[in-house]
Amino acid sequence: MIGLSDYLFVAAILFAISVAGIIINRKNVITLLMCIELMLLSVNINFIAFSRYLDDLQGQIFVFFILTVAAAEAAIGLAILVALFRNRSTIDVEELNQLKG
Amino acid sequence: MLENYLPILVFIMLGLGLGVGLELVGFILGKNKPDDAKNSPFECGFDAFEDSRSKFDVRFYLVAILFIIFDLEIAFLFPWAVVFNELGWFGVTTMAVFLALLVVGFIYEWKKGALEWE
Amino acid sequence: MELTFQQLVFYGFSTLLLLSALMVILSRNSVKAVMFLVLCFVATSGLWMLLQAEFLAVALVLVYVGAVMVLFLFVVMMLDIDIAARRHGFTKLLPLALLVAIAFLFILHWLVGDNHFGLEQMEAPSDHDASYSNIRELGKMLYTDYFYPFELAAVILLVAMVAAISLTFRGKRSRKSQDIDKQVRVTKADRLRVIKMESSSSSQQTDSKSDEESNENKDKEQDK
Repeated sequence: MIGLSDYLFVAAILFAISVAGIIINRKNVITLLMCIELMLLSVNINFIAFSRYLDDLQGQIFVFFILTVAAAEAAIGLAILVALFRNRSTIDVEELNQLKG
Repeated sequence: MLENYLPILVFIMLGLGLGVGLELVGFILGKNKPDDAKNSPFECGFDAFEDSRSKFDVRFYLVAILFIIFDLEIAFLFPWAVVFNELGWFGVTTMAVFLALLVVGFIYEWKKGALEWE
Repeated sequence: MELTFQQLVFYGFSTLLLLSALMVILSRNSVKAVMFLVLCFVATSGLWMLLQAEFLAVALVLVYVGAVMVLFLFVVMMLDIDIAARRHGFTKLLPLALLVAIAFLFILHWLVGDNHFGLEQMEAPSDHDASYSNIRELGKMLYTDYFYPFELAAVILLVAMVAAISLTFRGKRSRKSQDIDKQVRVTKADRLRVIKMESSSSSQQTDSKSDEESNENKDKEQDK
C-alpha cells in the first residue's frame, strides 16, 4: 500500500525542485511565477493527502480556495508583468533596481 | 471507486504510447542528414525579414482573464448544483451573492471597453 | 517487493510529475516550460485521483490546464523575450540551487519520512462505498459551513479582474481607420441637405429684418 509519507515525500521533492528553480531562474519573472505555481501545487498535494488519510474533507475545501486564490494571483502577477515589460522592456529581476538608493 | 477511472488511465496510456512510439519510429527509421542549406530559414528564396514569433495583442490577455474568472465560477457551480436540493433557499442566496459580485466585475470590463475588438 | 497496480500508477504519475517539474525549471524556452507545467498539473491530477479527491482532480485540469496555463502562454507570446540573453549566470547559481534543494530535501525527509507518517503510524484508510459522492460531500460543507470564505472568494476574483484590467488595459484605440460598414450604409439623407430658401425678389417682406436684407441685396445689385 501507498503510505502518507510517500505522498508527502513527492510533494517535498516538488517543493525542493521549485525552490531550486527560483534560485536558478533569476533572469525571468515568468519562470519565477511558474515555480510559485509548482510550490502551491506541492502544498495542495500535502493538503489532499492529509485529507484522505485523516478522513477529513476540510483539506479539500482548503485546496479549492487555494486554487481560487492562486488563479487570481497568477492573473494579477501576469498583469504586473505585462505592465512592467511595457515600461522597462525587460523582465530581468536584477534590472529592477530603480528603488535602490 | 477507482475502477471507474480505469478507462481514462488506459486511454492516457494508449495516447502516450502511440505518440511516443510513432515519434520514436520516425526518429529511428527516418533519414536525417542536415546541412547548412537545409537548416537555414527559407522564405521564398530570400532571407527572412523578421522573427517568426510575433507579439500577441494585449486584448487576448484580457479575454483570457475573463475566461479564468468564469471558469472558476463554473467550478464553484458544480458542487452547488449537486447539493442544490439539500441547501434550499440559503444555497440560492449564497450563490446569488457570489454571482452578483462577479457580474459587477463583468459590467466593469464591459463598460471600460476592454471587450471591444474593432 | 510486490508492486500492486495502485503503487505502479502512483510511481508512474510521481515520476512524470517530478521529471516535468525539473524540465520546467531547466528548459531554455519559456513556451516549453509552460508545456511541461501543463504536464505537471496533469500528473498531479492523476495523484489526486488516487487519493480519491475526484472533484478537485477534475477541477485542476479544468481550471489550471484549461485557463491559467493559457494565460501563461499568452503572456509568454505577448512579451518579446530574447531567449539566449537571459541564461547568463545560470551555471554560477547552479551549485547554490543544488545545495539549497538538497538541504530542503533532507529536512523535509526527516520531517515527513516513514518514522512520522509511515503506514505503521497512519494506516491507509478504507475505500468509501459505492454510494459515496465526493462532490456531494464537498458541496454540503462548502455552501453551509464555509459560505463566508466562499463569498470572499468571489470578492478576490472580482479584485483580480478589476486589477488585471486596470493594469493592462490602456483605453480604446483612437485609430483613424475606415469603417466600411458605415460607408456602405450611408444614405442620401446623411450627405445631402435640401434647404428651402426664399428668394429675395418675389416674396413679400413682412417684417423689418427681411426688409433690411432685401435692401442690402438691392445695394449689392446697384454696386454691380
